[in-house]
Amino acid sequence: MTKNRKWIILFLTPGIILFIFVFLISIVLLVGTSFTNWSIGSSISFSGIKNYIYLFTKDKDFITSIFNTIKWIALQSTIHILIGVGLALILAKSKWYTSLVRTVFFIPNIISSAALGLLFLCIMNPQFGMVNNIITKIMGEQFVHNWFMNPDTAFFSVTMTWLPYAGLVTILVMAEMASISKEIYEAASIDGASSFQQDIYIVLPMMRNIIGTATILAATSMLQKLDIIIMTTGGGPGARTMNMPMYLYNTALVDNNYGLANAQGVILIILGLITLISVRKIYRMDKEH
Amino acid sequence: MKVITPIKKTLTFIFISFIVIISVIPFIWVFASSFRGNAEIMSSVSGFPSGLHFDNYVAAFKIAPLMIFYKNSVVVSIIATVINLIIFSMAAYVIVRCKFKLKKTIIIAFSLALVIPGAALLQPLYNTLSATHLYDTLAGLIIVYAALGMPTTFYIMMSYIQTIPYTLEEAAYIDGAGFFRTFMQIILPLTRPAFATAGVLQFLFCWNEFQFGLTLTGDKMNRTVPIALYYFKSSFASDYGAMFAATVLVTIPSIIIYMLMQKQIISGLVSGSVKG
Repeated sequence: MTKNRKWIILFLTPGIILFIFVFLISIVLLVGTSFTNWSIGSSISFSGIKNYIYLFTKDKDFITSIFNTIKWIALQSTIHILIGVGLALILAKSKWYTSLVRTVFFIPNIISSAALGLLFLCIMNPQFGMVNNIITKIMGEQFVHNWFMNPDTAFFSVTMTWLPYAGLVTILVMAEMASISKEIYEAASIDGASSFQQDIYIVLPMMRNIIGTATILAATSMLQKLDIIIMTTGGGPGARTMNMPMYLYNTALVDNNYGLANAQGVILIILGLITLISVRKIYRMDKEH
Repeated sequence: MKVITPIKKTLTFIFISFIVIISVIPFIWVFASSFRGNAEIMSSVSGFPSGLHFDNYVAAFKIAPLMIFYKNSVVVSIIATVINLIIFSMAAYVIVRCKFKLKKTIIIAFSLALVIPGAALLQPLYNTLSATHLYDTLAGLIIVYAALGMPTTFYIMMSYIQTIPYTLEEAAYIDGAGFFRTFMQIILPLTRPAFATAGVLQFLFCWNEFQFGLTLTGDKMNRTVPIALYYFKSSFASDYGAMFAATVLVTIPSIIIYMLMQKQIISGLVSGSVKG
């Protein structure tokens, strides 16, 4: 083993360098400069927790962005998961359309979210969008909206770009379900359990870990949604659809207020950790690992 | 029981139809619209074009330097994927097979990368890349992408290498092969499926990535394909036909890769996320 020492070092060094360059330096910079007053053209000066105080007491749009992000996390970890798990339970009964539906349902997850955002911008366009065309035909002109720009519908419209698209959840759950042995189902049906009862009392409890994992992925993905927001509403109208990544982007790259942006980054990471820990607690995932 | 079944069947049918409709119709509509003239887009209610107009595609290439974006995307995605695979397959191998002091620390550090939302890194990376003169270069983007794909590749590789019986390597050592040769001739050929899985995921990630591409490049000579869409959205909002065409052009490669490599993608997502 000792003579392998140089190989161990040689094999690990590139990965560690990359990690340090992209992650470690960034995190040190992020946390460090979040306690400074630093914007473009001015020199850095230490300002203690002033950025944080400002964000939580004076910056209304930032507070809105936190609330919106939390709302989306909540929606994503409930409805989104329900759709994905529900579909997995249906498709697992190997219907003729199983592989077709599973394949098709994953397409929106596999393309660039920027493209998905633009696609939704087109189909919900007030003048020529598909959604308004259909609504006009079925219900009449008065139900037509400017979906992304109307303050009443903007939040809903943005939510619709990701909430139903639970293809990843379906795929993860179905992969895990494939590992349940047939004998368990047989034993259950001999005992007189209907397929619905089997799903509720046998399959779902066995899926606890994978559903927990899917929930973590779905919930934390809401901390990443810059692309769709930037392509559709840009956080507007007002701050109706502002989320934390979008607000951070604006602060850092439009206002060039780096200190303030990095304080937001720290809060974003903390929110991510809180989400992760809560989901793990709720699904009691700590025991297995 | 007998009453419930038809209701259940109907509900299932509605649910499945809903899923298929929301996943397919928007794409078909945009695809169809990309062949229609601007006037037709504004007036027509039906989704189907009256004829095939490729004008939108011609316009799309005129409005944004799409060829350059495509070339950049291909270069960045391929190189970042190769670098990512080489570096993290090596790291994963050593982590799985060797005993050393900092092993735990490295695993934890590499996993931490999973819980950091990308947006938090935007400004710091912009800063680091500017300081190292990598801002607005393809090389900078390649380094960042290779690192961002780290957790997924690392986990896929680790879980795959764990399934390889150690006796193979032992035999190689007994035959006198060194550490490096064992890795190259025994491990690499055996881990080919894992390379395919991690590789296709990494490639798709690079191809689709938007926020770092937008933030870490400035000149249009160094932008990637997804950023082209931002172009269409912000500066040329009036030419809807070209916008449709651009959406199709960006989306099609991802869908083709997905159709061809579905098996690898699914198994990669499963092993990559279950571990994390």
